Amino acid sequence: MTRAQRRWRVALIVVGVGLLLLGGIVLFNDVAPKRYIGILAWLAGAIIIHDGIIAPAVFGVSLAMRRAGRRIPLPVILIVQGAIVVGAIMALLVFPEIAKQAIGSANPSILPLDYAGNLIGFYIALAVVTAVAIGLYLVVTRRQNARPSTSQD
Amino acid sequence: MVLWNLQRLLNGMRRSLAAPSRNPRAAVVIGRLLGAAFILCFATGIYSHFIQDPLPWMHFPTRPIWIYQVSQGIHITAGIACFPLLLAKLYAVFPELFQTPVVRSVPHILERASIALFVASSIVQIVIGLINTYQWYQLFPFPFRQTHYALSFVVVGSLAIHIAIKLPVIAQYWSKRSAFEADGVTLAERPAEPVGAPLVPAPPHDEVPIGGVTGKVIAWIDSTPKPRPDEVRTSRRGFFAIAGVAVAAVVGLTAGQSFRLLDGVNLFAPRKQGVGPSGLPINRTAAAAKVLESARDADWVLTVVNGETSTTFTRAQLLALPQYDVDLPIACVEGWSQMASWRGPRLRDLADAVGARDGVAIRAVSLEKDSSYARTTVGPEWVRDELTLVALELNGDVLDIDHGYPARLIAPARPGVLQTKWLSSLEVIA
Repeated sequence: MTRAQRRWRVALIVVGVGLLLLGGIVLFNDVAPKRYIGILAWLAGAIIIHDGIIAPAVFGVSLAMRRAGRRIPLPVILIVQGAIVVGAIMALLVFPEIAKQAIGSANPSILPLDYAGNLIGFYIALAVVTAVAIGLYLVVTRRQNARPSTSQD
Repeated sequence: MVLWNLQRLLNGMRRSLAAPSRNPRAAVVIGRLLGAAFILCFATGIYSHFIQDPLPWMHFPTRPIWIYQVSQGIHITAGIACFPLLLAKLYAVFPELFQTPVVRSVPHILERASIALFVASSIVQIVIGLINTYQWYQLFPFPFRQTHYALSFVVVGSLAIHIAIKLPVIAQYWSKRSAFEADGVTLAERPAEPVGAPLVPAPPHDEVPIGGVTGKVIAWIDSTPKPRPDEVRTSRRGFFAIAGVAVAAVVGLTAGQSFRLLDGVNLFAPRKQGVGPSGLPINRTAAAAKVLESARDADWVLTVVNGETSTTFTRAQLLALPQYDVDLPIACVEGWSQMASWRGPRLRDLADAVGARDGVAIRAVSLEKDSSYARTTVGPEWVRDELTLVALELNGDVLDIDHGYPARLIAPARPGVLQTKWLSSLEVIA
């Protein structure tokens, strides 16, 4: 580590600790102490959901992908993986929205769209795009593989 | 013995998670974008916080008229972009979760604790931000605004500490070129390796095998052929492509609530342009504010007070004053916004009617009950602004009761929550 880096490191840690303290002061001034339990529960919940649910799930998928990796071409795996990831992230954002919509909103201009219907439409479009991308990839690679043999004719 | 087995298990997990896209360069590239998104959210959030609760010396720009609207559109959109970016970042550094030994030294404990705080506060921050835009307040065992504000300092503070700790790695992998030079090999040639070298070297394959299911899984992992250089490159590009598509999807399909250009593909935002009374969304209804009777009262007057001087205006008298048409957005602190056409007398004409001096602020008092926004302060930068109206009409209609009938404030570059509805009095603050 260079001397300049060491200086930056010290400066950043000072700023960081200062901001953490400021956050603590704001919390102390603006939020009633009886609410701290709720905030701590949310922070702990985030760690539990990440380390305990999302991480093992991704670990499992990684293992499964290794198995598939022995048989299916890598770009095809990546395209499918990408579609699953995009679909899952969208679900993460939209499922709570659908749930809240079912509970009801304070007025009709809040959550006015057909989120469930739109999500289904999005998934259909995603599936079509994924299939087309895989198809294109397979056609292109087949042509590329075929080309040397035709040039030999 | 148990520890040794745990260590081998963690090592095995790390090895099984080794993937070409999980490398320091990917962590740096995604980390830069995520860091930028956090800073954008922080800056726009602080702006919105202080425009609502200004310190005495603070003055805010009133032009361009869209500055508040765009800042909050960026706040919410960058916040939504953080979902795929944060997941990509966590994915890139995933094997770090299975470090062995779990803790090594006091600085190492502090480092891991700071990362735990950083990850937890970041996740909570973006999740409660999103849920707040759905107005699902029942999920919060804490007051949203204050908690979101306090956590913003925790997130940015932890970010600074995180950058400080990772500075050498960040410097090494900042540019593609330095990432090449760091290893003395091309990116494509570099073997797949998790972030940070394992402390305990992975046991060679001919070592005494671990028994049981764990041993079988690890043996199976180890028997996977190493990816070829072209596959390494493809994997890496694939990772960035997937992250890019995910960001584009979540941003593109929601940002229409704040940016008109994307309104046509607004499939998932909690607000839609053009939906609401007079084609404009609302937050608090007249019923929720308990003003259904008082706002429709035939005896309603707007009282304008300056010290001892006081005068009242009926709605007809307000309509008899010179009327002005202005196009100004309603821009919510929740990030959605929409342009609208307003008509009514200027606030400065009403201030003049009671002989208010230049440079004074005005307290706007609403008929609404049980709201911390029933009394708001209009800073001097807005009082004399020619675009600040006491609006009586919206988009060509008589102001809807849910938009603040009989009269409401509308001023440029201010949050919607301060554009006081159901006005009852305007008081000059000396």
